[in-house]
Amino acid sequence: MGKYLMGEFEQLVLLAAMRLGEEAYGVSVARALTEQTGKEVSQAATYLTLKRLEEKGWLESQAGVPSTQRAGREKRTYQITEAGLAKVRESRATLLQMWDEVAEQL
Amino acid sequence: MSKQGGGPRWAEALIRWMADDGDVAEILGDFYETYAQRRSERGAFSARIWYWRQTSRLAVTLIPRRLGASGRTHRPRQVSAANSPNISTLRGNKIMSIGQDARSALREVRKDFRFYAFAALIIGLGIGANTAVFSVMSPLMLRPLPFEDPEELVWVALSEAEGNMSLVTSRASNLRDFRELNQSFDGLTGFFAFFEYQSFNLVGEGEPERLVGAGVAQDFLDVLGVSPLLGRNFVYEEGVWDGRPAAILTHGFWTRRFAADPGIVGRSISLNDVPTEVVGVLAPSFDFSSTFSPGSRVDFLRPFPISDETDNWGNTLSIIGRLKPGATVESAQADLDIIVQHLQDAEPDRWGLGAVVSGLQEQIGGRFKSAMLFLAAAAGAVMLIACANLSNLLLARGTKRHKEMAIRSVMGGSRKRLVRQLLLESMLLALLGAIVGVGIAYAATNAVAGTTAVRIPMLHSVSIDGMVLLFTLGVALVAGLLLGVLPALQMSQGREATILNDSSRGSSEGRSHTGIREALVVAEVAIACILLVGGGLLLRSFVSVLDVQLGFRPDGVVAWRVDTNRNLFDPDQPYGGLPGAVVFYDQLVTSVEAVPGVEALGLSDCLPLGRNRSWGMRVVGQPDDPEHQYNVYPRIVDFRYLETMGIRLVSGRHFTPDDNWESGNVVIISESGARRMFQGENPLGQSLTLAGGTEIVGVVEDVRHQTLEHTSGIEIYLPMMQRRWGTLDMVVRSPLPPEALIGPVSAAIRASDPTMPTGDFRTLNSVVDRAVSPRRFTLLLLGSFAGTALVLAALGIYGVLSYNVSQRIPEIGIRMALGESGGQVLGRVVKRTMTLAVVGIVIGAAGSFLVTRLIGSMLYGVEPTDAVTFVGMALVLLSAAALAGFLPARRASRTDPMGALRTE
Repeated sequence: MGKYLMGEFEQLVLLAAMRLGEEAYGVSVARALTEQTGKEVSQAATYLTLKRLEEKGWLESQAGVPSTQRAGREKRTYQITEAGLAKVRESRATLLQMWDEVAEQL
Repeated sequence: MSKQGGGPRWAEALIRWMADDGDVAEILGDFYETYAQRRSERGAFSARIWYWRQTSRLAVTLIPRRLGASGRTHRPRQVSAANSPNISTLRGNKIMSIGQDARSALREVRKDFRFYAFAALIIGLGIGANTAVFSVMSPLMLRPLPFEDPEELVWVALSEAEGNMSLVTSRASNLRDFRELNQSFDGLTGFFAFFEYQSFNLVGEGEPERLVGAGVAQDFLDVLGVSPLLGRNFVYEEGVWDGRPAAILTHGFWTRRFAADPGIVGRSISLNDVPTEVVGVLAPSFDFSSTFSPGSRVDFLRPFPISDETDNWGNTLSIIGRLKPGATVESAQADLDIIVQHLQDAEPDRWGLGAVVSGLQEQIGGRFKSAMLFLAAAAGAVMLIACANLSNLLLARGTKRHKEMAIRSVMGGSRKRLVRQLLLESMLLALLGAIVGVGIAYAATNAVAGTTAVRIPMLHSVSIDGMVLLFTLGVALVAGLLLGVLPALQMSQGREATILNDSSRGSSEGRSHTGIREALVVAEVAIACILLVGGGLLLRSFVSVLDVQLGFRPDGVVAWRVDTNRNLFDPDQPYGGLPGAVVFYDQLVTSVEAVPGVEALGLSDCLPLGRNRSWGMRVVGQPDDPEHQYNVYPRIVDFRYLETMGIRLVSGRHFTPDDNWESGNVVIISESGARRMFQGENPLGQSLTLAGGTEIVGVVEDVRHQTLEHTSGIEIYLPMMQRRWGTLDMVVRSPLPPEALIGPVSAAIRASDPTMPTGDFRTLNSVVDRAVSPRRFTLLLLGSFAGTALVLAALGIYGVLSYNVSQRIPEIGIRMALGESGGQVLGRVVKRTMTLAVVGIVIGAAGSFLVTRLIGSMLYGVEPTDAVTFVGMALVLLSAAALAGFLPARRASRTDPMGALRTE
């Protein structure tokens, strides 16, 4: 996976999932992002991103219990993996370094 | 639109289709949560818009992925130790994976289209047979009659009599009295059962035409609960004796003759020179003739008065009743029993009293019930053979696919999943077969529905309708399951290692495998044997029926219906009265006799195998008790008729032109009549209590008058010159072919009376033919089933043996290398074939022995255990098996030992 850079939305989703902990799933992630960014984040985009992150091995998921609130469908919750955590750290380091370098111009 | 507890239905369906199986629940759940919240906050419309926006956003990404990966299995999900198999996820996957399996089954079919086309054809034969039989059965036995609350309708016959229409009909006085006295019926009505023997010449609306009008009691349509499509039912003034002439046209006649002109209602048409008002038109759903009188044609209904006048005509009414709510066939029977007893006590002289109540549907369809059930069973048997056959084919292919299955199994496909996949494939196969089957059945029912040559009720309404299609679908699914279950279980067996071993060694398959396939072949042969024996027995019955002593010679005889508009018995008319009427017909006969090629001719009001009417009478001098009251079947004939028909004189004399209105009344009786009434005494010179005493002057041979199968009752012939008649048939005997005769005779008839329609003729052979038509119909169907079964069984034998041979080529090679000759190899394979066939035949013969007892009632002149049939059919099967086994055997015997060993 080496030198792959995370996209902005990917980073946002990953961070939101970390913050939500055990409560991270499609709806809560999208809601958190909407609140945070102040603009409507699409449920579909969130879902697709969660999937993509899972495929890359940065998230792992677990099926939960169906509920009436969800019309009897199971919930799938996401947790960050070791690889994901490493990637976030790496990304954070890269970004912080770059931000630092331009700090004077801001 | 969205059902409770979900998002918009179609959007959900789209998601189900495009998303991976494992992810569907998650997406639908997530979407739904937000959707539900939005709905409560911003309303349903906004929520739906949102849902669809999300769905389309997904579609942009998922659909290309889906289409690009049509052969995909699950994209591997990263499985961590923490969340390995999770039961609820698996359950969620199930529905979707069926869809996936179905797609994969479709792929399988596309990959090997030729095999599946052939297989679908075989299964289509089975399904077609079932669908065809069902569609004939359904209007007769399953679909309710096209009347209001048909289960309340009953038939009130005069007495219990099989195949004897005359004893089913009743006197008008019976209807009159039953109507008055009963407590069980909401309505009692009837129709004139011999309407075919009345005719109405339509003049003044184009070509003159002979019409058939069925006389019905005034309340007939009301009791059946049928209302006319146009106009009205008959009213009281039209339903009485000498009432106002009125007619209700049948839909068919209205369309044919009046181009469905609604303006016809209220107009007057001329029937037998009587202006008759058309008061209504029947709906197409009410097909009088196919319901009550199959094989005949009805152009209009006319009122039939229930009066003293019509009562004198004898047993002429078919009575139909509608039970009161709560009344049953039994309670109505009890009610009528008491009434009949009461009437008989009050009037000991009264004849023709009696009432036997039965359900109308049963009365109409009942006679054909056993034949239909038998055919249905036969069609089911064909289906079983087809399934066994395909099972075998699939099993043989199974070897080819074992590797695929093994790989799938190793890759983690559960056995259940593999079985399901294989069953889906066989279902798909059966559905393809259903398409073929519906095609076959469509052709068959089209042929059947259009014919008037078969006297089976409701045949005209036979068609492939929704109910039939539903049935076909059901049959196809059952068939798919039946034919697929064995191969599926076999193929999905978890024997990956063995399979690798098997195919690499090139050895033959395991014993159990071959065993199953051979058992299937034996079953096929056994079922085919039962069908063949059944068909053989029917064939022999058919031949015996055709061999029946008719009592007359139908060859070379054509019968014309010769009716005139003139009211011959009205004294105010020219020819009025009996002598004039005789003169009128003498002129006609003279004119036709002059036609070259005409050998003989005669007149009768009652041809064999057609009309039946019965009168009650006694012999003068015998005791006046019910035991000596006879039901006789009268025929009014001219002095030429008996000789023209070839009815042999046994004793006494024929009629002569001197047996006329001036001489004493005379009668000729049949042999059975003589036996029944005089028990060996000489009947000549004795008298019947008819017209105050009618002397018996001759005895003639029995004629099969009612059906070919039933021996004759008491028949009497009365001379035309001594008794009024209704309608007449003229029989013309000639060595000329009918085509050559028809033109000149018609011309001669017209020369004698220009107003007489001449289009109504038939050969006596066709009359006989129509009488055997239900039997032929059954035979034809069963014969084709048995033929199909034979072919399928032979195909099954061929398939299994040629497969066995191909599997055993190495073994055969070794044997031949060690000195076995080609002939020995051939012998061994043929012996195997014969063993299979003989085992199947023995089982089948035992089965036939049990089954054929059940069809005893359909047989005629042959025992259900007829040895000739059993042996004959066994031989047919054996030869078919030998042929089927010979081809693979020959191939085996030509094995090249070296080549076979090299492939090892």
